[in-house]
Amino acid sequence: MATDIYAVEVEGVAKRFGKQPALDGISVRIRRGEVYGLLGPNGAGKTTLIRSLVGLVAPEQGTVTVLGRRMPQLAVLARVGYMTQQAALYPDLSAEENVRFFGAIHGREDGDREALEFVEMWDRRKSVVSTLSGGLRTRCSLACALVHKPDLLLLDEPTVGVDPQLRVQLWDGFRKMAAGGTTIVVSSHVMDEAERCDRLGLIRFGKLLAEGTVAEIKSRAGVDRLEDAFLKLSEASSS
Amino acid sequence: MSASRVGAITKRILQQFRRDHRTLGLLFGAPLVILALLGYLLRGGGDVPKMGIVNLDGGPLGGIVASTLERSKTVSASSMSPGDADGKLRSGDIAGYVLLPSDFSPKAQQARVIAPEIHLEGSQPGLSQSILQAVSQSFVGLAGQGGGIQFTPKITFLYGGPSFDTLDYFGAAFIGLVVFFLVFVITAVAFLRERGQGTLERLMASPLRRAEIVLGYMLGFTVLALILLVLHVHNVGNVALIFVLEALMAIAAVNLGIFLSMFARTEFQAVQFIPLVIVPQVLLAGIIFPISTEPGPLQALSRVLPLTYAVEGLRNIMIKGADLTWSSLQLDLGVVLGFCVLVILAGATTLRRRIA
Repeated sequence: MATDIYAVEVEGVAKRFGKQPALDGISVRIRRGEVYGLLGPNGAGKTTLIRSLVGLVAPEQGTVTVLGRRMPQLAVLARVGYMTQQAALYPDLSAEENVRFFGAIHGREDGDREALEFVEMWDRRKSVVSTLSGGLRTRCSLACALVHKPDLLLLDEPTVGVDPQLRVQLWDGFRKMAAGGTTIVVSSHVMDEAERCDRLGLIRFGKLLAEGTVAEIKSRAGVDRLEDAFLKLSEASSS
Repeated sequence: MSASRVGAITKRILQQFRRDHRTLGLLFGAPLVILALLGYLLRGGGDVPKMGIVNLDGGPLGGIVASTLERSKTVSASSMSPGDADGKLRSGDIAGYVLLPSDFSPKAQQARVIAPEIHLEGSQPGLSQSILQAVSQSFVGLAGQGGGIQFTPKITFLYGGPSFDTLDYFGAAFIGLVVFFLVFVITAVAFLRERGQGTLERLMASPLRRAEIVLGYMLGFTVLALILLVLHVHNVGNVALIFVLEALMAIAAVNLGIFLSMFARTEFQAVQFIPLVIVPQVLLAGIIFPISTEPGPLQALSRVLPLTYAVEGLRNIMIKGADLTWSSLQLDLGVVLGFCVLVILAGATTLRRRIA
């Protein structure tokens, strides 16, 4: 069955905000256990696509299927972790209290230690979020997204403001989670991050321009650098 | 509906409050300050209490106290005989009198104790307090002369008692108002914050149902609102009934806050709802001005405001000791309950629409 293969199936989804199309009949399939990178300029529709996966955006056309369930559906959201672009936390709670809260509303009371250790914040767990630096907030926000051990992890630009060293460590962690069967969808601008994904989807004007492994995309554009490939494919589509 | 998810939200709200000392201070300090101010204001305006001085003291000190009191601007004091004073107190001509016993001077000079008797009518706490203040001030001069003199007045009340003070006079109505007002403002602001800081987006991307969010909020704020009841207020009624009414008002306020927060984009805008939603209710709900003294059209308006019934209900319970068999209390509870249902529906509807 197709649902065993794919964690996410987006079929012809369209959504406009006013007259501006944010998603223009996009179709994407993401396999279970893969790390899928969404690449595209600001306003391309990356965030709207991710939001449609958790039912925050109701498509005008098309269907969204997540972990075998037609969205919107509440129950399946317990198996999805969503990290927003902005570090969405309660500033007057401690890091630990935030992580516990988001764990609890996803039906998981424990797991806070593991999540905080994953982002290397266990020793800072008692710190109130409002006193944390931007990078630490991002890490705490990530811990909140994966505390309930989701099957599908959606990360909207997760490593903004995180120093290179930790970014490498986080990516090692993502790869480990993927190896354990977790599907990860990550949007990014950062090309060296994109290189670490199993497959990439290039998005522009709410459409999927190109899709494939890093090597496939490079060879299709006929260039060596992913950045060049991205620019070339973008130009080709708009001309 | 999952109890643990609702519980998670309630717990989170209480945790946030534990950290937010300013809001907690506001929650408990503001009502006391406003009440004190209100009592003071209503007492003022030329309404200087009349009091009597009964000076039985043979020594020099009694005379000094009496003349100090007579010169006081906060009370209108005049000398009279003990029998006269007692009669006037009972007829309501004076709000109280101070009696300086025959051994007043020797006691003050030798035993260093000033022990006047102060008799108060007591039904109007504001007036009683004016008199107590004036009397104790008139002794300040004496204490200064000797130094180390103990001031131990014996105070008796004709009505009420020492525990029935200004706070109690408006307390019943005020508790309700404070719960409603503060819970409304705090919920509206808290909800706008959830939206602004992006956590509402996260809640919506979780398995939480809207009803669970609303219920979690309701429980958290209702717990806080009920803690407000520790503000000791004169109460002759059933505490459980007060809890029920308070909880209903808190629920209404939470949902009104959620509902109206949809129409504001910033916390500042939310605060601007206060003059629109709260002030008219404060003026018209009979908290300060009795509804029966309002002009006709305003009375009609008062009769459709939910806070009117809440205030009436609280007064019925706390001052008159009403129970559920009273038809007036049944009406009060019914109206407040109806209002709750209305705003819960309104809150849930707008929450759904905004997320879509």
